[in-house]
Amino acid sequence: MVEWPASVQPLFVGATLLWSGGVKCAGASARRAAQRSALRSLVGEARAPIAHRLVGAAELALAAALLLPPVYAGEAVAAAVLATGFLAYLAYARVVAPDSSCGCMSARPMPVTWRGFARAALILAAALLGTRAGPWWDAATGHPWAAGTTLLGEAAALVALSPEADRRWLYPLRRLRVRLRHPLADRSFDMPLESSLQQLLGSTAYRQVSGLLRSGLRETWDEEDVRVLCYTAEYEGRLATAVFAVPLRHYRPEEIRVALVDESAESTLLVLDGA
Amino acid sequence: MPQPDRRRFLTSAVLGGSAVAGATALGSLAPEAAFAAAPKIKLDPGALDPNFAEGRITGISGSLLKASGSDRTLHRIHITDGTSIWKLHPTTFDQIKVGDGFYARGVRLPDGSLAADAIWVNIVNLDASIAAIETARLHLDHNGKRVIGHVVGGRTAAVYGSAPAVADLTRLQVGRHVKVIGAWRPDTNEVDIATVYSGA
Repeated sequence: MVEWPASVQPLFVGATLLWSGGVKCAGASARRAAQRSALRSLVGEARAPIAHRLVGAAELALAAALLLPPVYAGEAVAAAVLATGFLAYLAYARVVAPDSSCGCMSARPMPVTWRGFARAALILAAALLGTRAGPWWDAATGHPWAAGTTLLGEAAALVALSPEADRRWLYPLRRLRVRLRHPLADRSFDMPLESSLQQLLGSTAYRQVSGLLRSGLRETWDEEDVRVLCYTAEYEGRLATAVFAVPLRHYRPEEIRVALVDESAESTLLVLDGA
Repeated sequence: MPQPDRRRFLTSAVLGGSAVAGATALGSLAPEAAFAAAPKIKLDPGALDPNFAEGRITGISGSLLKASGSDRTLHRIHITDGTSIWKLHPTTFDQIKVGDGFYARGVRLPDGSLAADAIWVNIVNLDASIAAIETARLHLDHNGKRVIGHVVGGRTAAVYGSAPAVADLTRLQVGRHVKVIGAWRPDTNEVDIATVYSGA
Protein backbone atom coordinates (compact mmCIF):
# COMPACT_ATOMS: atom_id res chain seq x y z
CA MET A 1 0.00 0.00 0.00
CA VAL A 2 1.78 3.13 -1.20
CA GLU A 3 -1.29 5.32 -1.22
CA TRP A 4 -0.79 7.11 2.07
CA PRO A 5 2.04 9.44 0.97
CA ALA A 6 -0.21 10.66 -1.84
CA SER A 7 -3.18 10.98 0.49
CA VAL A 8 -1.49 13.41 2.88
CA GLN A 9 -0.47 15.76 0.05
CA PRO A 10 -3.80 17.63 0.00
CA LEU A 11 -3.19 18.40 3.67
CA PHE A 12 0.23 19.90 2.91
CA VAL A 13 -0.90 21.79 -0.19
CA GLY A 14 -4.07 22.97 1.57
CA ALA A 15 -2.18 24.29 4.59
CA THR A 16 0.32 26.07 2.34
CA LEU A 17 -2.48 27.72 0.35
CA LEU A 18 -4.20 28.66 3.61
CA TRP A 19 -1.04 30.51 4.65
CA SER A 20 -0.43 32.31 1.36
CA GLY A 21 -4.13 33.03 0.71
CA GLY A 22 -4.57 34.33 4.25
CA VAL A 23 -1.63 36.71 3.85
CA LYS A 24 -2.99 38.00 0.52
CA CYS A 25 -6.56 38.52 1.77
CA ALA A 26 -6.17 39.50 5.40
CA GLY A 27 -2.52 40.66 5.71
CA ALA A 28 -2.06 44.12 7.20
CA SER A 29 -0.09 45.46 4.24
CA ALA A 30 -1.42 43.20 1.48
CA ARG A 31 -2.13 46.26 -0.64
CA ARG A 32 1.48 47.42 -0.52
CA ALA A 33 2.68 43.89 -1.24
CA ALA A 34 0.49 43.83 -4.35
CA GLN A 35 1.86 47.13 -5.58
CA ARG A 36 5.44 45.95 -5.18
CA SER A 37 4.77 42.66 -6.97
CA ALA A 38 5.08 41.87 -10.63
CA LEU A 39 1.25 41.97 -10.84
CA ARG A 40 1.71 45.69 -11.30
CA SER A 41 3.21 45.26 -14.74
CA LEU A 42 0.98 42.25 -15.51
CA VAL A 43 -2.47 43.79 -14.90
CA GLY A 44 -1.68 47.45 -14.25
CA GLU A 45 -1.01 49.54 -11.15
CA ALA A 46 -4.67 50.14 -10.23
CA ARG A 47 -5.82 46.55 -10.64
CA ALA A 48 -2.85 44.91 -8.91
CA PRO A 49 -4.40 44.96 -5.38
CA ILE A 50 -7.67 43.47 -6.66
CA ALA A 51 -5.87 40.78 -8.66
CA HIS A 52 -3.70 40.03 -5.62
CA ARG A 53 -6.78 39.63 -3.46
CA LEU A 54 -8.55 37.47 -6.05
CA VAL A 55 -5.57 35.12 -6.19
CA GLY A 56 -5.67 35.01 -2.39
CA ALA A 57 -9.41 34.20 -2.41
CA ALA A 58 -8.87 31.44 -4.96
CA GLU A 59 -6.11 30.02 -2.79
CA LEU A 60 -8.35 30.08 0.29
CA ALA A 61 -11.24 28.44 -1.57
CA LEU A 62 -8.94 25.73 -2.90
CA ALA A 63 -7.43 25.25 0.55
CA ALA A 64 -10.91 24.75 2.00
CA ALA A 65 -11.80 22.26 -0.74
CA LEU A 66 -8.57 20.32 -0.17
CA LEU A 67 -8.80 20.22 3.62
CA LEU A 68 -12.54 19.57 4.05
CA PRO A 69 -14.62 16.61 2.88
CA PRO A 70 -15.77 15.48 0.39
CA VAL A 71 -12.77 14.49 -1.72
CA TYR A 72 -12.81 15.15 -5.44
CA ALA A 73 -9.91 14.26 -7.74
CA GLY A 74 -10.39 17.66 -9.36
CA GLU A 75 -9.22 19.47 -6.22
CA ALA A 76 -5.63 18.26 -6.52
CA VAL A 77 -5.68 18.91 -10.26
CA ALA A 78 -6.81 22.48 -9.58
CA ALA A 79 -3.97 22.84 -7.06
CA ALA A 80 -1.50 21.57 -9.66
CA VAL A 81 -2.84 24.08 -12.17
CA LEU A 82 -2.49 26.87 -9.59
CA ALA A 83 1.09 25.80 -8.77
CA THR A 84 1.93 25.81 -12.49
CA GLY A 85 0.45 29.30 -12.60
CA PHE A 86 2.77 30.34 -9.75
CA LEU A 87 5.78 29.03 -11.66
CA ALA A 88 4.69 30.91 -14.77
CA TYR A 89 4.16 34.08 -12.71
CA LEU A 90 7.62 33.78 -11.14
CA ALA A 91 9.19 33.28 -14.56
CA TYR A 92 7.31 36.33 -15.84
CA ALA A 93 8.44 38.40 -12.82
CA ARG A 94 12.02 37.27 -13.29
CA VAL A 95 12.07 38.20 -16.97
CA VAL A 96 9.82 41.26 -17.20
CA ALA A 97 10.03 42.93 -13.78
CA PRO A 98 13.22 41.69 -12.09
CA ASP A 99 13.09 44.49 -9.50
CA SER A 100 9.61 43.55 -8.32
CA SER A 101 8.83 41.71 -5.12
CA CYS A 102 7.47 38.17 -5.13
CA GLY A 103 4.34 39.07 -3.16
CA CYS A 104 3.91 35.36 -2.57
CA MET A 105 3.65 34.48 1.07
CA SER A 106 4.29 37.67 3.03
CA ALA A 107 3.91 41.41 2.64
CA ARG A 108 7.65 41.86 3.14
CA PRO A 109 9.51 42.81 -0.07
CA MET A 110 11.14 39.63 -1.38
CA PRO A 111 12.93 39.42 -4.70
CA VAL A 112 12.18 36.43 -6.92
CA THR A 113 15.06 33.99 -6.48
CA TRP A 114 15.70 30.30 -7.08
CA ARG A 115 14.12 29.59 -3.70
CA GLY A 116 10.79 30.91 -4.96
CA PHE A 117 10.94 28.62 -7.98
CA ALA A 118 11.96 25.64 -5.85
CA ARG A 119 9.06 26.33 -3.49
CA ALA A 120 6.51 26.55 -6.31
CA ALA A 121 7.97 23.34 -7.78
CA LEU A 122 7.60 21.63 -4.39
CA ILE A 123 3.91 22.61 -4.24
CA LEU A 124 3.40 21.46 -7.82
CA ALA A 125 5.03 18.08 -7.10
CA ALA A 126 2.89 17.65 -3.98
CA ALA A 127 -0.28 18.57 -5.87
CA LEU A 128 0.54 16.13 -8.70
CA LEU A 129 1.19 13.37 -6.20
CA GLY A 130 -2.09 14.27 -4.51
CA THR A 131 -4.12 13.63 -7.64
CA ARG A 132 -3.80 9.92 -6.95
CA ALA A 133 -5.04 10.22 -3.39
CA GLY A 134 -7.82 9.08 -1.13
CA PRO A 135 -9.05 11.15 1.83
CA TRP A 136 -6.13 12.43 3.93
CA TRP A 137 -7.86 11.63 7.23
CA ASP A 138 -7.85 7.90 6.34
CA ALA A 139 -4.12 8.03 5.65
CA ALA A 140 -3.50 10.03 8.82
CA THR A 141 -5.32 7.47 10.99
CA GLY A 142 -3.88 4.49 9.08
CA HIS A 143 -0.22 5.56 9.19
CA PRO A 144 -0.03 8.33 11.80
CA TRP A 145 3.75 8.24 12.25
CA ALA A 146 4.73 7.92 8.62
CA ALA A 147 2.19 10.54 7.55
CA GLY A 148 3.27 12.92 10.32
CA THR A 149 6.94 12.56 9.42
CA THR A 150 6.27 13.14 5.74
CA LEU A 151 4.23 16.25 6.46
CA LEU A 152 6.85 17.56 8.88
CA GLY A 153 9.58 17.03 6.28
CA GLU A 154 7.58 18.83 3.62
CA ALA A 155 6.77 21.69 5.98
CA ALA A 156 10.47 22.01 6.86
CA ALA A 157 11.37 22.10 3.16
CA LEU A 158 8.71 24.75 2.57
CA VAL A 159 9.99 26.93 5.39
CA ALA A 160 13.61 26.47 4.27
CA LEU A 161 12.64 27.60 0.76
CA SER A 162 10.71 30.64 2.04
CA PRO A 163 12.82 33.78 2.40
CA GLU A 164 9.82 35.24 4.26
CA ALA A 165 10.48 32.88 7.13
CA ASP A 166 14.23 33.57 7.43
CA ARG A 167 13.75 36.12 10.20
CA ARG A 168 12.00 33.48 12.31
CA TRP A 169 14.59 30.71 12.21
CA LEU A 170 17.67 31.58 10.13
CA TYR A 171 18.45 34.98 11.63
CA PRO A 172 18.14 33.79 15.25
CA LEU A 173 20.56 30.94 14.43
CA ARG A 174 23.01 33.39 12.85
CA ARG A 175 22.63 35.72 15.82
CA LEU A 176 23.40 32.86 18.18
CA ARG A 177 26.51 31.97 16.20
CA VAL A 178 27.66 35.58 16.22
CA ARG A 179 27.04 35.80 19.95
CA LEU A 180 29.12 32.69 20.64
CA ARG A 181 32.09 33.95 18.67
CA HIS A 182 31.78 37.23 16.83
CA PRO A 183 33.51 36.88 13.45
CA LEU A 184 34.54 40.52 13.55
CA ALA A 185 36.14 40.38 17.01
CA ASP A 186 39.90 40.60 17.62
CA ARG A 187 40.36 43.86 15.81
CA SER A 188 42.78 46.53 16.81
CA PHE A 189 41.61 49.46 18.84
CA ASP A 190 43.15 52.07 16.59
CA MET A 191 41.35 55.39 16.56
CA PRO A 192 39.39 55.42 13.30
CA LEU A 193 39.75 58.42 11.02
CA GLU A 194 35.98 58.95 11.20
CA SER A 195 36.29 59.61 14.92
CA SER A 196 38.90 62.34 14.36
CA LEU A 197 36.72 63.85 11.64
CA GLN A 198 33.73 63.96 13.98
CA GLN A 199 35.85 65.76 16.54
CA LEU A 200 37.20 68.16 13.92
CA LEU A 201 33.79 69.08 12.51
CA GLY A 202 32.56 70.05 15.97
CA SER A 203 35.51 72.29 16.77
CA THR A 204 35.80 76.07 16.88
CA ALA A 205 38.93 75.99 14.75
CA TYR A 206 37.09 74.21 11.94
CA ARG A 207 34.14 76.59 12.10
CA GLN A 208 36.58 79.48 11.81
CA VAL A 209 38.17 78.33 8.58
CA SER A 210 35.47 76.13 7.05
CA GLY A 211 34.44 79.01 4.79
CA LEU A 212 37.95 79.03 3.31
CA LEU A 213 38.17 75.30 2.60
CA ARG A 214 37.97 74.26 -1.00
CA SER A 215 38.64 70.52 -0.98
CA GLY A 216 37.69 67.50 1.05
CA LEU A 217 40.21 65.81 3.32
CA ARG A 218 43.40 65.58 1.27
CA GLU A 219 45.73 63.63 3.49
CA THR A 220 46.23 62.62 7.07
CA TRP A 221 48.96 61.17 9.26
CA ASP A 222 49.56 60.58 12.95
CA GLU A 223 52.20 62.46 14.89
CA GLU A 224 52.54 60.98 18.42
CA ASP A 225 49.34 62.09 20.14
CA VAL A 226 47.91 64.30 17.42
CA ARG A 227 46.42 63.41 14.07
CA VAL A 228 47.23 65.88 11.29
CA LEU A 229 44.52 66.50 8.67
CA CYS A 230 45.16 68.60 5.53
CA TYR A 231 42.67 70.44 3.32
CA THR A 232 43.12 72.86 0.46
CA ALA A 233 42.00 76.38 1.37
CA GLU A 234 41.83 79.74 -0.30
CA TYR A 235 43.09 82.58 1.86
CA GLU A 236 43.47 86.19 0.80
CA GLY A 237 43.27 85.27 -2.85
CA ARG A 238 45.87 82.50 -2.86
CA LEU A 239 45.78 78.74 -2.45
CA ALA A 240 46.95 77.47 0.90
CA THR A 241 46.97 74.23 2.84
CA ALA A 242 44.83 74.17 5.98
CA VAL A 243 46.61 71.92 8.46
CA PHE A 244 44.57 70.80 11.46
CA ALA A 245 46.05 69.14 14.54
CA VAL A 246 43.42 66.96 16.27
CA PRO A 247 44.09 65.20 19.60
CA LEU A 248 44.42 61.51 18.75
CA ARG A 249 43.34 59.75 21.92
CA HIS A 250 41.10 62.31 23.60
CA TYR A 251 37.93 64.14 22.71
CA ARG A 252 39.10 67.73 23.19
CA PRO A 253 37.85 69.77 20.23
CA GLU A 254 38.84 72.99 22.01
CA GLU A 255 42.51 71.94 21.67
CA ILE A 256 42.32 71.64 17.88
CA ARG A 257 44.66 74.06 16.13
CA VAL A 258 44.80 75.01 12.49
CA ALA A 259 47.54 76.55 10.39
CA LEU A 260 47.14 78.03 6.92
CA VAL A 261 50.35 77.30 5.03
CA ASP A 262 51.54 78.39 1.62
CA GLU A 263 53.41 75.26 0.55
CA SER A 264 54.99 76.80 -2.56
CA ALA A 265 56.54 79.63 -0.54
CA GLU A 266 57.07 77.45 2.54
CA SER A 267 55.54 80.11 4.72
CA THR A 268 52.91 79.96 7.43
CA LEU A 269 50.14 82.49 6.83
CA LEU A 270 48.09 82.07 9.98
CA VAL A 271 47.85 79.84 13.03
CA LEU A 272 44.64 79.62 15.08
CA ASP A 273 43.91 77.75 18.27
CA GLY A 274 40.41 76.83 19.26
CA ALA A 275 40.46 78.59 22.63
CA MET B 1 59.84 69.09 -1.19
CA PRO B 2 60.15 65.32 -0.45
CA GLN B 3 57.17 63.85 1.38
CA PRO B 4 58.76 63.31 4.88
CA ASP B 5 60.19 66.86 4.90
CA ARG B 6 56.90 68.26 3.70
CA ARG B 7 54.95 66.53 6.43
CA ARG B 8 57.48 67.66 9.03
CA PHE B 9 57.15 71.22 7.80
CA LEU B 10 53.34 71.14 7.87
CA THR B 11 53.30 69.51 11.32
CA SER B 12 55.66 72.10 12.75
CA ALA B 13 53.57 74.87 11.19
CA VAL B 14 50.48 73.82 13.10
CA LEU B 15 52.14 72.65 16.31
CA GLY B 16 54.99 75.19 16.53
CA GLY B 17 54.31 77.89 19.08
CA SER B 18 54.83 80.90 16.85
CA ALA B 19 52.31 83.63 16.09
CA VAL B 20 49.11 81.99 17.29
CA ALA B 21 46.10 84.16 16.65
CA GLY B 22 42.96 84.00 18.77
CA ALA B 23 39.95 82.00 17.78
CA THR B 24 38.12 85.01 16.43
CA ALA B 25 40.98 86.30 14.26
CA LEU B 26 38.98 85.54 11.14
CA GLY B 27 35.86 87.23 12.41
CA SER B 28 32.83 86.48 14.51
CA LEU B 29 31.78 82.92 15.33
CA ALA B 30 28.10 83.85 15.29
CA PRO B 31 25.96 81.84 12.88
CA GLU B 32 24.81 85.03 11.12
CA ALA B 33 28.41 85.73 10.12
CA ALA B 34 28.77 82.19 8.78
CA PHE B 35 25.63 82.58 6.68
CA ALA B 36 26.80 85.93 5.36
CA ALA B 37 30.14 84.42 4.35
CA ALA B 38 28.61 81.33 2.72
CA PRO B 39 29.04 81.41 -1.05
CA LYS B 40 25.89 82.26 -2.94
CA ILE B 41 24.89 79.72 -5.54
CA LYS B 42 23.25 81.34 -8.52
CA LEU B 43 21.46 78.57 -10.36
CA ASP B 44 18.14 78.46 -12.13
CA PRO B 45 15.83 75.87 -10.66
CA GLY B 46 16.35 72.64 -12.52
CA ALA B 47 19.61 73.75 -14.09
CA LEU B 48 22.63 71.46 -13.90
CA ASP B 49 25.30 72.54 -11.44
CA PRO B 50 28.27 73.40 -13.68
CA ASN B 51 30.71 72.81 -10.86
CA PHE B 52 29.79 69.18 -10.33
CA ALA B 53 30.41 66.04 -12.33
CA GLU B 54 29.65 62.35 -11.87
CA GLY B 55 30.09 59.24 -13.91
CA ARG B 56 32.60 56.55 -14.66
CA ILE B 57 36.18 57.03 -15.72
CA THR B 58 36.90 55.97 -19.27
CA GLY B 59 40.48 57.15 -19.59
CA ILE B 60 43.37 58.72 -17.70
CA SER B 61 46.03 60.81 -19.38
CA GLY B 62 48.51 62.61 -17.23
CA SER B 63 46.49 64.37 -14.54
CA LEU B 64 43.37 64.50 -16.72
CA LEU B 65 40.48 62.12 -16.19
CA LYS B 66 38.11 61.41 -19.05
CA ALA B 67 34.72 60.22 -17.93
CA SER B 68 31.20 59.63 -19.09
CA GLY B 69 28.32 60.70 -16.90
CA SER B 70 25.24 58.64 -16.14
CA ASP B 71 23.35 60.97 -18.52
CA ARG B 72 26.05 60.26 -21.15
CA THR B 73 27.64 63.68 -20.72
CA LEU B 74 31.36 63.50 -21.44
CA HIS B 75 33.53 65.07 -18.75
CA ARG B 76 37.18 66.07 -18.60
CA ILE B 77 38.42 66.52 -15.08
CA HIS B 78 41.74 68.02 -14.03
CA ILE B 79 43.26 66.67 -10.83
CA THR B 80 45.76 69.01 -9.19
CA ASP B 81 47.97 68.90 -6.10
CA GLY B 82 45.19 70.67 -4.24
CA THR B 83 42.48 68.13 -5.18
CA SER B 84 41.31 65.85 -2.40
CA ILE B 85 40.87 62.26 -3.58
CA TRP B 86 38.71 59.84 -1.62
CA LYS B 87 38.73 56.17 -2.37
CA LEU B 88 37.73 54.45 0.86
CA HIS B 89 40.09 56.90 2.57
CA PRO B 90 42.02 60.01 1.49
CA THR B 91 44.41 58.73 -1.13
CA THR B 92 46.55 59.66 -4.11
CA PHE B 93 45.98 60.06 -7.83
CA ASP B 94 47.64 56.77 -8.78
CA GLN B 95 44.85 54.88 -7.00
CA ILE B 96 42.24 56.07 -9.51
CA LYS B 97 41.60 53.41 -12.15
CA VAL B 98 39.69 53.29 -15.44
CA GLY B 99 36.19 51.96 -14.74
CA ASP B 100 35.90 53.63 -11.34
CA GLY B 101 32.76 55.62 -10.58
CA PHE B 102 33.08 59.07 -9.07
CA TYR B 103 31.53 62.31 -7.92
CA ALA B 104 33.62 65.47 -8.36
CA ARG B 105 33.22 69.07 -7.30
CA GLY B 106 35.35 71.96 -8.51
CA VAL B 107 35.42 74.92 -10.86
CA ARG B 108 34.30 74.75 -14.50
CA LEU B 109 37.03 76.14 -16.76
CA PRO B 110 36.27 78.10 -19.96
CA ASP B 111 37.20 75.12 -22.13
CA GLY B 112 34.44 73.08 -20.48
CA SER B 113 36.66 70.90 -18.33
CA LEU B 114 36.33 70.78 -14.57
CA ALA B 115 39.23 71.64 -12.25
CA ALA B 116 38.37 69.39 -9.34
CA ASP B 117 38.60 70.56 -5.74
CA ALA B 118 37.44 67.21 -4.49
CA ILE B 119 36.71 63.84 -6.04
CA TRP B 120 35.07 60.87 -4.36
CA VAL B 121 35.84 57.65 -6.16
CA ASN B 122 33.43 54.70 -6.04
CA ILE B 123 31.70 56.17 -2.99
CA VAL B 124 28.36 54.57 -2.10
CA ASN B 125 25.78 55.23 0.58
CA LEU B 126 23.63 52.18 1.25
CA ASP B 127 20.61 51.65 3.45
CA ALA B 128 20.62 47.96 4.15
CA SER B 129 19.97 45.29 6.70
CA ILE B 130 22.56 42.83 7.92
CA ALA B 131 21.69 39.34 6.66
CA ALA B 132 24.80 37.58 7.95
CA ILE B 133 28.13 38.30 9.55
CA GLU B 134 31.24 36.38 8.55
CA THR B 135 34.95 36.79 9.09
CA ALA B 136 35.93 40.16 7.61
CA ARG B 137 32.64 40.73 5.85
CA LEU B 138 28.98 41.59 6.24
CA HIS B 139 26.22 40.26 4.01
CA LEU B 140 23.83 43.12 3.41
CA ASP B 141 20.30 43.07 2.04
CA HIS B 142 19.88 46.24 0.02
CA ASN B 143 16.48 46.70 -1.68
CA GLY B 144 16.13 42.96 -1.99
CA LYS B 145 19.61 42.50 -3.46
CA ARG B 146 22.58 40.99 -1.70
CA VAL B 147 25.65 43.21 -1.23
CA ILE B 148 28.88 41.95 0.31
CA GLY B 149 30.49 44.53 2.59
CA HIS B 150 34.18 43.89 3.22
CA VAL B 151 35.65 44.98 6.53
CA VAL B 152 39.03 46.61 5.93
CA GLY B 153 41.46 46.37 8.83
CA GLY B 154 42.51 49.75 10.17
CA ARG B 155 39.94 51.54 7.97
CA THR B 156 36.43 50.35 8.72
CA ALA B 157 34.75 52.25 11.53
CA ALA B 158 31.39 51.83 13.22
CA VAL B 159 29.10 54.49 14.63
CA TYR B 160 26.53 53.25 17.15
CA GLY B 161 23.73 55.73 17.67
CA SER B 162 25.24 59.16 18.24
CA ALA B 163 28.42 57.91 19.93
CA PRO B 164 31.86 58.68 18.46
CA ALA B 165 33.12 56.33 15.75
CA VAL B 166 35.00 53.26 16.94
CA ALA B 167 36.90 50.40 15.31
CA ASP B 168 34.92 47.82 17.30
CA LEU B 169 32.37 46.06 15.06
CA THR B 170 31.19 43.46 17.55
CA ARG B 171 28.00 45.32 18.35
CA LEU B 172 26.66 44.81 14.84
CA GLN B 173 23.81 42.31 14.79
CA VAL B 174 22.17 40.11 12.19
CA GLY B 175 18.77 41.52 11.20
CA ARG B 176 19.63 45.10 12.16
CA HIS B 177 19.18 48.00 9.79
CA VAL B 178 22.42 49.84 8.97
CA LYS B 179 23.68 52.63 6.78
CA VAL B 180 26.97 51.99 5.05
CA ILE B 181 29.37 54.47 3.51
CA GLY B 182 31.86 52.57 1.44
CA ALA B 183 33.81 52.18 -1.75
CA TRP B 184 32.23 50.08 -4.45
CA ARG B 185 34.37 47.48 -6.21
CA PRO B 186 33.47 48.31 -9.81
CA ASP B 187 31.16 45.88 -11.63
CA THR B 188 30.60 43.69 -8.58
CA ASN B 189 28.06 43.61 -5.77
CA GLU B 190 30.86 44.17 -3.28
CA VAL B 191 31.88 47.25 -1.32
CA ASP B 192 34.71 48.01 1.08
CA ILE B 193 33.18 49.55 4.16
CA ALA B 194 34.45 52.92 5.35
CA THR B 195 31.83 53.55 8.03
CA VAL B 196 28.83 51.53 9.13
CA TYR B 197 26.12 53.33 11.10
CA SER B 198 23.95 51.23 13.37
CA GLY B 199 21.07 52.33 15.58
CA ALA B 200 22.50 51.24 18.91
